Amino acid sequence: MAKILEGPAMKLFNKWGIPVPNYVVIMDPDRLAQLGEANKWLRESKLVVKAHEAIGGRFKLGLVKLGLNLDEAFAAAKEMIGREIGTSVVRQVIVAEMLDHDEEYYLSIAGNRDGSELLLSNKGGVDIEENWDTVKRLFIPLDETPTIERITESALEAGFTGEIAERVAKIASRLILCFDNEDAQSIEINPLVIRKSDMRFAALDAVMNVDWDARFRHADWDFKPVSEIGRPFTEAEQQIMDIDARIKGSVKLVEVPGGDIALLTAGGGASVFYSDAVVARGGSIANYAEYSGDPPDWAVEALTETICRLPNIRHIIVGGAIANFTDVKATFNGIINGFRESKSKGYLENVKIWVRRGGPNENQGLAAMKKLQEEGFDIHVYDRSMPMTDIVDLALNS
Amino acid sequence: MSILANKDTRAVIIGGVAGLNAAKRMAQFDFLVNRPLTVQAFVYPPEEGQQKEIYRGGELNNVTVYGSLENALAENPQINTALIYIGASRAYQSAKEALDVKGIKLVTMITEGVPEKDAKALRKYALEQGKIFNGPSSIGIMTAGECRLGVIGGEFKNLKLCNLYRPGSFGVVTKSGGLSNEAMWLCAQNGDGITSAVAIGGDAYPGTDFVTYLQMFENDPETKAVVVIGEVGGTLEEEAAEWYGREKRRIKLIASIGGTCQDVLPQGMKFGHAGAKEGKKGLGSARSKINALREAGALVPDTFGGLSKAIKQVYLELQASGVIKPEPELDEKLLPVLPPSVQEVMKQGEVIVEPLIRTTISDDRGEEPRYVGYAASELCEKGYGIEDVIGLLWNKKLPSKAESEIIKRIIMISADHGPAVSGAFGSIIAACAGIDLPQAVSAGMTMIGPRFGGAVTNAGKYFKYGVKEYPNDIPGFLNWMKENVGPVPGIGHRVKSLKNPDKRVKYLVEYVTNQTTQHTPCLNYALEVEKVTTAKKDNLILNVDGTIGCILVDLDFPEYSLNGFFVLARTIGMIGHWIDQNNQNARLIRLYDYLINYAVKEEREVPEKK
Repeated sequence: MAKILEGPAMKLFNKWGIPVPNYVVIMDPDRLAQLGEANKWLRESKLVVKAHEAIGGRFKLGLVKLGLNLDEAFAAAKEMIGREIGTSVVRQVIVAEMLDHDEEYYLSIAGNRDGSELLLSNKGGVDIEENWDTVKRLFIPLDETPTIERITESALEAGFTGEIAERVAKIASRLILCFDNEDAQSIEINPLVIRKSDMRFAALDAVMNVDWDARFRHADWDFKPVSEIGRPFTEAEQQIMDIDARIKGSVKLVEVPGGDIALLTAGGGASVFYSDAVVARGGSIANYAEYSGDPPDWAVEALTETICRLPNIRHIIVGGAIANFTDVKATFNGIINGFRESKSKGYLENVKIWVRRGGPNENQGLAAMKKLQEEGFDIHVYDRSMPMTDIVDLALNS
Repeated sequence: MSILANKDTRAVIIGGVAGLNAAKRMAQFDFLVNRPLTVQAFVYPPEEGQQKEIYRGGELNNVTVYGSLENALAENPQINTALIYIGASRAYQSAKEALDVKGIKLVTMITEGVPEKDAKALRKYALEQGKIFNGPSSIGIMTAGECRLGVIGGEFKNLKLCNLYRPGSFGVVTKSGGLSNEAMWLCAQNGDGITSAVAIGGDAYPGTDFVTYLQMFENDPETKAVVVIGEVGGTLEEEAAEWYGREKRRIKLIASIGGTCQDVLPQGMKFGHAGAKEGKKGLGSARSKINALREAGALVPDTFGGLSKAIKQVYLELQASGVIKPEPELDEKLLPVLPPSVQEVMKQGEVIVEPLIRTTISDDRGEEPRYVGYAASELCEKGYGIEDVIGLLWNKKLPSKAESEIIKRIIMISADHGPAVSGAFGSIIAACAGIDLPQAVSAGMTMIGPRFGGAVTNAGKYFKYGVKEYPNDIPGFLNWMKENVGPVPGIGHRVKSLKNPDKRVKYLVEYVTNQTTQHTPCLNYALEVEKVTTAKKDNLILNVDGTIGCILVDLDFPEYSLNGFFVLARTIGMIGHWIDQNNQNARLIRLYDYLINYAVKEEREVPEKK
């Protein structure tokens, strides 16, 4: 799952003939003046300026400004660029034509196991949730493309009439093409607007998710996906992601502010169960972490050090199932080095460490971990005979 | 009985090194249960025609790598399942080809990061043909006592700990690979082990689903209960609940669902497998899955840790009701033991292997190379130089400061001698012919011998002999040389003479005798010899080979190492010449006709062959 920003989404819409308003993405407000000289629409249309970043609730934060002329747009861009929102900084803004329009529609497509589903409504805009019962659905089986007649039928069912129904169907057919050919997972256009005087349509706002695993067959994907965790990545998360991109196997980290139980867990499945166990026992996690696929020990060491630096943690859960092929001795070696390094830097004071693991070379790995007791670590080590998530119970009851 | 894989399963592995590693693990299982090799062929075009060595216990098998599935099948028609390990960009095509093979009913994809669209298409394709496409991102399939597909089950020791050498009564279906192994362990620890275990993979759109496998387990009389491990996202668990609740099922169902923590996490914060994503309006949430399963009559503990108790409870109930008859535990000692490698046995001191070679100078088995015991980095840190490394590796001694200075000068002075001499010229000709650095330098190196640069060893050797056998008798030494060796190595020069001395020799002799306190019996002896020989002929001077040889003997280097100094020093020059020619983009050269005397026969007619 990879959400992409509006700019790249608009570019893909353009590629597949889905009407979009004129727009530019800029990093420097001065560039807007130059673009204004070159583009008539910037001088003559009402403009909207939006922070082009993965920041939720942009409207409330003043990162969306509507109905501006070029000078006002310049001022808005200047004000937004460089603004710090939490841990992230606004680096880009998108300046788009604010099309005067008569009606707002809703058009979306999302994949499912058997194909995809097209959703249409002639009551789009901010109120779509309230008008959800007006949405008409068209199931599109895998490898099939509905005829324009079939889509038009759906448009008519959704309350569109006459030429507008035909035009909406046409746009929907292109949306299906775009979805299919760009390995999209979902595309939601809300609103799709129309100016009836010249029958001009435009996708004013859109959210698009693409399948990042398919990037090998999309040479023109020059964008990066944005954070999937509802906020921009922290520096630590970014560092772990950078390591993850370079190694065999994987290391992952999501920080959860406010928690006091840190997770240093193995495996995509088991890690989630450890988070669940903490929550089920009334604890709060300080992070989610995962290493899997027999990653190199230095990567696990880096992950360990990052986790040891999390603020206010009281426990670290070094949990995992019985590995199939991740070498317990080697990965534990990375964790042990990370613990030692962190301790020498003054971290891990009053932190209890709980270990449960099995898999290749489990005896050596667990024995090495246990030896940390001699170095003054408050560490509790269990082998496969301890039920997997029960170390969480032990930690919370200690 | 079992599902999906059994004693008759024969596999082809499509992919490179990951597939090979899996095949090795699979062969360990084959050995454990005493079945023929499961993997019959590899398909991996870059390594077409190679043989891969696979040990089944102590028995070495060679498994062929084919360039195409078609060829693999032509020679191995017994193959009835395929495992896909090849990279995500080729996985779709490979799986589709495998599904097209009539005899292949099951295709399992281990590859991770496969585009969703491809996985969806493969699922549909398999369904249309009545076949099973398992994966992507599956760790594999295990049938206890019969067949292992993939690395599921981990290391050999774990196969025994999880009782995988004989069937039990529990089926296992999981999304996660790691948890499939955990679940097999739980079934062995708290019950009598598994019949079969399947990992369907944690992607958004797996090729199969829980219901498909639950139905298979329901139809397998040996399976009495099934452990399902699911997670947030999708609706496969809800479908499983619906299936289980629809009618009375023979099998007991135990489940654990991951992702309940997501209820309390900040909005939008999601993690775990690619498929572990909740839909809009709570669709596919862990909580809804748990509720659905419980309502359908499945046993769903609060946490994963609670699975142990749940399995034990079901096992005891099934025993009490007579569905499961307790079988006597197998004596683990009767199970085969994986033959250890020579290294492992040696570690335990149970075998003696005569070493093939012996070294006395260096060792890189630790964190870094050690030269005669000294860590390379420590030598660097403590201010030692390349001369000291030479001293260590060639003579196993750390030279003194003064000795190092001499060694350094010998190398500096001998590093190059212009392009005209045999060695440099050889390298230059090779460089001009477009030959790469190591080979071009070797071409120059080939020239080092009795007439060029190779006299250092013999000079050192014979002057040392003279010092020992004819200490105060130069004429006696020269006489002995004349009778037994010939011209004295290290004496004589083509162009230099007493009147036109070799500057390098003068400098070295002057440096060693005047600027160091080095004791130089051999060099002194050679200079005495020179006095006698130059009296006979002006150019019979002590040349640079002779000088170096004597000094190095005086520094206590072994005689046979002495040519090494010239070889080492001149390598610097030859590399320089090669780089120089390449920088200039030098072109292929050949001798001009006028540089050759064609002392050949006149042109003539070839006679008829008789």
